Amino acid sequence: MTQEVVQAKAVFPSLEWFQLLKDMVNGDDGFRRIGTCDTTMGIKITDRQRYYLVIFEAFEVADVREVSEEEAEEADFWLEGPLSLWREMLENIKAHGKADHYHTLNTIDLELPEGFARSHDGLRRDAFYRFNQSLQYFFNASSRIDTVFED
Amino acid sequence: MGEELRIPEDLARVAQERGFPLDLVRRALALGFSPSLVAAQIRAGAQPEQVAAYLEEQERVRAGGEVHIPPEVQQLARQRRWPRELIERAVRAGISMDQVKGFLESGLRADQMERVVILRERARERGGPPVTLEWMNVKTEWGIRVKPGKKGLTLGSLNVGSYGDIPDYWPRQTEMPRGAAPNPLSPSMGYSIYEKAELWADHAADLYEEAIQRQWKPATHIPWDDIPPLPEPLEQALCQLCTYMCQNAMVISDTIGKWLKEMSYGYHEVKVYMATAGFDYARHLDVFRKRAYLNGVGMGRQSPGYYLRPIKDARRWTEASTMMFIFNTSFLMHLCQVGYYTARSEGDALIFSLTMQDLARQTAYGVEHLRYFLLRKPECRLEVDGYLQKIEAFFAYEDDKDSTLQEALVVLLGGGLGQEELKRGWQLLHRFRRRWIADYLWRLEAAGMPERRQHLFFYLRQWLPQPHEATATPGGMS
Repeated sequence: MTQEVVQAKAVFPSLEWFQLLKDMVNGDDGFRRIGTCDTTMGIKITDRQRYYLVIFEAFEVADVREVSEEEAEEADFWLEGPLSLWREMLENIKAHGKADHYHTLNTIDLELPEGFARSHDGLRRDAFYRFNQSLQYFFNASSRIDTVFED
Repeated sequence: MGEELRIPEDLARVAQERGFPLDLVRRALALGFSPSLVAAQIRAGAQPEQVAAYLEEQERVRAGGEVHIPPEVQQLARQRRWPRELIERAVRAGISMDQVKGFLESGLRADQMERVVILRERARERGGPPVTLEWMNVKTEWGIRVKPGKKGLTLGSLNVGSYGDIPDYWPRQTEMPRGAAPNPLSPSMGYSIYEKAELWADHAADLYEEAIQRQWKPATHIPWDDIPPLPEPLEQALCQLCTYMCQNAMVISDTIGKWLKEMSYGYHEVKVYMATAGFDYARHLDVFRKRAYLNGVGMGRQSPGYYLRPIKDARRWTEASTMMFIFNTSFLMHLCQVGYYTARSEGDALIFSLTMQDLARQTAYGVEHLRYFLLRKPECRLEVDGYLQKIEAFFAYEDDKDSTLQEALVVLLGGGLGQEELKRGWQLLHRFRRRWIADYLWRLEAAGMPERRQHLFFYLRQWLPQPHEATATPGGMS
């Protein structure tokens, strides 16, 4: 994946941060080349009670929204963890330009007792695997954001 | 132009509607052109002046007149090494000079042109026309236009108008594509699946597009130059896992191929998706074989294959699909999770994550098809339960009788052959298997079979999530 020089500053978690990521990915041919991605992904930063929805459609991120916990859980699947977990993942991405093996979505999912990707539906959760390359690319793009974490 | 050259009513009406002179129609019929051909030419907008010139030339030539070949056609003929006699034969057989010129310009060789002329001459000798154009009047739906969307022009987007009517029972035993007009000459092809419930999944066309769009190429997508060998026992264990993946992929690919020819043409969305699924497994054979060879170890030991036998022997597509695309893909995803988790290079991790991507798509078909099937055939629920009992039992037998694969996974997960490493490996394998069984049961629940949790084959129950875990979201490795 080609990473460009930084860019922009935003606070995580915030809608602004996700919108920035959306714009970066939508302007990136590399994301398109992976192939179509049609899924909705919830984001839950549990200890901050902050919830987001990321909507992937065809070759782009169609929308990002700040939502309620219930709405986040209506997604095909959601990624759930405390801010410390999100921070470790995003800082690792920032440091290496992309997640190292121990900080990919897959590895985190396998490491956590309850999993990182969760869902209410056994079929819809498989979207996490079906589109995993696209989802990882999405988060890897955050290496181009100068992320500031909430205290 | 005697009495026998009376113009048929249909043809006369076409000519009158288009203002086409009837005397030209009579002259064309006198030269042996069929009424349907003449009507088609009029409908296509043939200009009376051009037709008159053509007919005049045909009448003159057929009366023994010399064929006049324009200089530019002569020049082209010399370049293509066509003899003059060939052009004369062509014109006498009813081919216009413009058509001759077109054939020359398109690069037709003399021997090819001679075959065209012979066909025309034979048609004339039989007294029949060279073409009937009856196929232009078939009763299929016209006027359908589909615009590309965000994903381009997709297969599913074509299902509009009458083309979107996908019947519950497909009445044709021939190779007729859905939406085409039947041809009475077509023979029955002996398919065995004519009922939608027996193979359908609503998102089959979308899965096909997804498979095409997200396909990857083992030769170039994997950074082969950057996968260093693992320490010897781990490299050997990985190659054993790769060997298993290769064998499994070949069996599933074979099984899909066997069933493809059973599916009638009314449900092409499933057929084309299954073609991509077969290709997925070809790719898996490819990538795992390459990985096994990469660092000098090569293939490991064959699996007994007991467990794959009922998949090959399935007598109903839903049986094969449920075994392949729910039980087997869940198990293969479990193996890929172990492979991914223990990967020590980006290349190895990529191999397993891309394979999981394909397997999850196949699982999506398996679950959706089973759900569709059970909604329409609830009386078959026990039968499906029996399929699952059979595949689980065969798996248990193989897993118990042959520890090759388990041991390879333990070595990978433990990180070596020492006592502590093997102990850690067994513990981790147990965790991964609990996750596998949880995901497998959860997929069956999504397909409409939550009761399988209670019926799970006893051997697999050692990895059954505890009741309190069952209510939480599966997927974790508690």
